[in-house]
Amino acid sequence: MQRRYRRYFLAALLATMLLVTLAPAAQAHGEAAQEAFLRLRTVGWVNVRFSSDTVMQGETFTITGVAKIMESWPTTLAKGNPNTGYMGLIAPGPVVMLKERTMNGVSVPSRIDIKKGDIFEFSMTVAGRRVGRWHIHPSFSVKGAGTLLGPGMWINVKENPDGFKNEVQLVEAGGGPGDTINLENYQLPYVWIWLVITFFIGLAWMIYWTVPKRTVTNLAVTSQIPLNTDGMDYGLITKKDHRNMNWFAIGTLLLLLVGWIYQANAFPTKIPQQIIQFAPPQSALAENAGIAQTRNARATFDPDTDTVALSVDVTNTGTTPLTLTNFHASTLAYAVGGSPGPGVIAVTPQAEVAPGATTKLTLTTRDPAWRVEHLLPIGESQLLITGILVFRTGDGNTALSEVEAILQPRFE
Amino acid sequence: MATDARTLELRQLVNKKYKYIDRKWDAVFWITAAFVVGAAADITKQLFAGDWDFWTDWKDRQWWPIITPFAIIIIGSALQYIQWLAWRFPTGMTYTAVAMFACTFIGRWLQWGAFVYYPMNFVWPATMVAAAIFADWVLLKTKSFVLTSVLGSMIFAVSWWVSNYIPLAPFVQPAQWMDRVLTVSDIQGIEYVRSQTPEYLRIIEHGSLRTFLGETTYVSLVFGATVAIGGYWVGQFIGRGLAIWPIGRFMKKW
Repeated sequence: MQRRYRRYFLAALLATMLLVTLAPAAQAHGEAAQEAFLRLRTVGWVNVRFSSDTVMQGETFTITGVAKIMESWPTTLAKGNPNTGYMGLIAPGPVVMLKERTMNGVSVPSRIDIKKGDIFEFSMTVAGRRVGRWHIHPSFSVKGAGTLLGPGMWINVKENPDGFKNEVQLVEAGGGPGDTINLENYQLPYVWIWLVITFFIGLAWMIYWTVPKRTVTNLAVTSQIPLNTDGMDYGLITKKDHRNMNWFAIGTLLLLLVGWIYQANAFPTKIPQQIIQFAPPQSALAENAGIAQTRNARATFDPDTDTVALSVDVTNTGTTPLTLTNFHASTLAYAVGGSPGPGVIAVTPQAEVAPGATTKLTLTTRDPAWRVEHLLPIGESQLLITGILVFRTGDGNTALSEVEAILQPRFE
Repeated sequence: MATDARTLELRQLVNKKYKYIDRKWDAVFWITAAFVVGAAADITKQLFAGDWDFWTDWKDRQWWPIITPFAIIIIGSALQYIQWLAWRFPTGMTYTAVAMFACTFIGRWLQWGAFVYYPMNFVWPATMVAAAIFADWVLLKTKSFVLTSVLGSMIFAVSWWVSNYIPLAPFVQPAQWMDRVLTVSDIQGIEYVRSQTPEYLRIIEHGSLRTFLGETTYVSLVFGATVAIGGYWVGQFIGRGLAIWPIGRFMKKW
C-alpha cells in the first residue's frame, strides 16, 4: 500500500516537473490573438524604432514612429467614428516608466482627440525600472475599440549600481518649483502608518467585544429578546461597554481630527486630479497624405510559399516623382528591395510613379510572418488586407498612402 | 425594582457554562469567518469600485466618495445585522472593515507589489475602519437598524472620506510634468504602465459642479451619504434575506 502511494507521489512529482520545465514562458502580449481586421484596419504603424535594447534602471530610451488612424476604420468599432485615443506602452507591468510623450511635436501627458485619417508622429521617452528582459510595445488605445499594439521589442533593463529613483518636482503654493520627490516611495511610510493605526483601532474594538465576552452562547439569549434592545437587563451589553465604546468613538474622532490637521499643514497646496484632452497639431506627413492615391487594390496569398502579392493602381497627384520605399501592415514592416523575403518587398514594374501618372504596382512579399502573426484574415468575415504604402517625393518628403486590398486566398 | 423571573432566567443563561460549547467555538467562528467576510467585502468593493480603490489617480473628489462608501457598506451592514441579532455585538461593520483591510493589504502587497511591481504608494487600499467604528457605535447607541441606516450610513460616508483623504493628501499636490501642472497621482497613473487601462477609462471629476459654488466634495459627500443608505439596505437584505432567513427555515425544519 505504502509503495503504491510512493509511486503516486513520484508520478505527481514527475508530472509537475515536466509541466514546469517543458511549458514555454508566455513571451508576448497576445497581439497575434487579435483578429487580423482589428490590427490591419484600425491603427497603422510606420517606422517604429527603439533607440536602444539595453538600459540601466532610470536610464531612458525612446520609441519613435508614426501611428495612423486608418481611413478604413471598421464601422463595428467605436461606432465607426473613433474620437478619443491614448498612446501608451504595453509591458508586463510597470517594468518601465513613461517619462515623456510627444505627438506631432507637442507633449501629450494624457488622452487626445482623434479622427479617422489622423497621422501622429510620436516619440515616447521610456525609463528602465525593473531589472530583467521585457517585451515592450507601443500601443494606441481607442475609446470604444480597445488597445491596439504596435511592433514590440525585447528590452534589457540592467541594475543601476548607483541606485534608482524616479524623481518629480512639486509646485509650491506661489507657483515656484517645490521639493523634488521620489515617486517610488513618496510618503509611503505616512500612508502605511495611517492605515495601520486605523486597522489597530478596529482590531482593538474587536478584541474588546470578542476576547472577554462569550460569543456563540449568546444566541441562547438573543434568540429570546427583541432586536431593538441591547440586552442590558440580561448582562449582554453593560453600561461600562457603552462608556468604553463612547471613548472609542471619541478617540477615533480625535484621530481623524489630528490626521486632518496634519495633512492640511503638511500638504497645504492641493488640486483635483487633472483631465487633459486636446487635439495635437497636424503632422507634416498629413500635408502629403493625398499625393499618392490608391485604387483597385487586390491581393493574393499562396500558402505553399507564404507569398502575399498585392497589386494596386497608384496615382501621383503631386508635381514630383513618387518612389515607393516601404510597406507596413500592422506590426509587419517591409522595405522595397530585390528579392522578396522577411522584411523585404519586391515591386514590379518599378517603384517609381511619375507626376500625374497612374501606375499599377505589384508588391510581392514572401514571409511566414503573415501566417505566424495571424495577419491574414482567412476565416474572418472580411477578406481584406490593409496597409500603408510609404513614398518618397522628389523633393525629399514622405507621403503615406493607405491601401485596402481585396484578398483572394488560395485555400489549403 | 424587583427583577422578574424571566429576566433572571435570561441572566443565568448569559452566564451559563456549557459542557461542549466552550471558548474554542468562539475562536473558530471569529477566525474562520474573517476570511469569508474579508473576501466577500473585498470582492463586493472590487465589483462596484475596483479601480477607485486600486489607483491614487482614480481617488478623486467626485466619484470616489459616492461609489466606494456604497460598495463597502453592503457587507458591513449584513454582518452588523447578523452579529447584532445573534450575539448582540455592535461589531459587524468593524469586523468587516478589519477583515477586509487585512485581505486587501495582503492582496495589494503580494499581487500588486511583489508580483507586478507597482509602487505601493500608488496602489494602497482605502480604509473603512474609522467609518465602521462610527457605524457600529450608532447601532449600539440607537439599537435601531432604521436609525443606523440613516444616521450611521451618513456618518459612515463622511468619516470614510475624511479617513481616506488624509493618506491621499500628498498625492493631490501639484507637480510639474510634461509641460503641465498635474497632481502627483496623475503622474503616477501615467508613468507606471497600466497596459490595458488607457487613461480615458478613468472615471473622475470632469467639471467642478459650479452650480453648487464649485464645492464638488460637499455635493459628492451628501450624495455619497444618501447612496450609502441604499447600500446599507442592500446589506440588510443580504443579512436578513439571504443569510438569516434560510438558516431559520432550515432550523425549523430540522
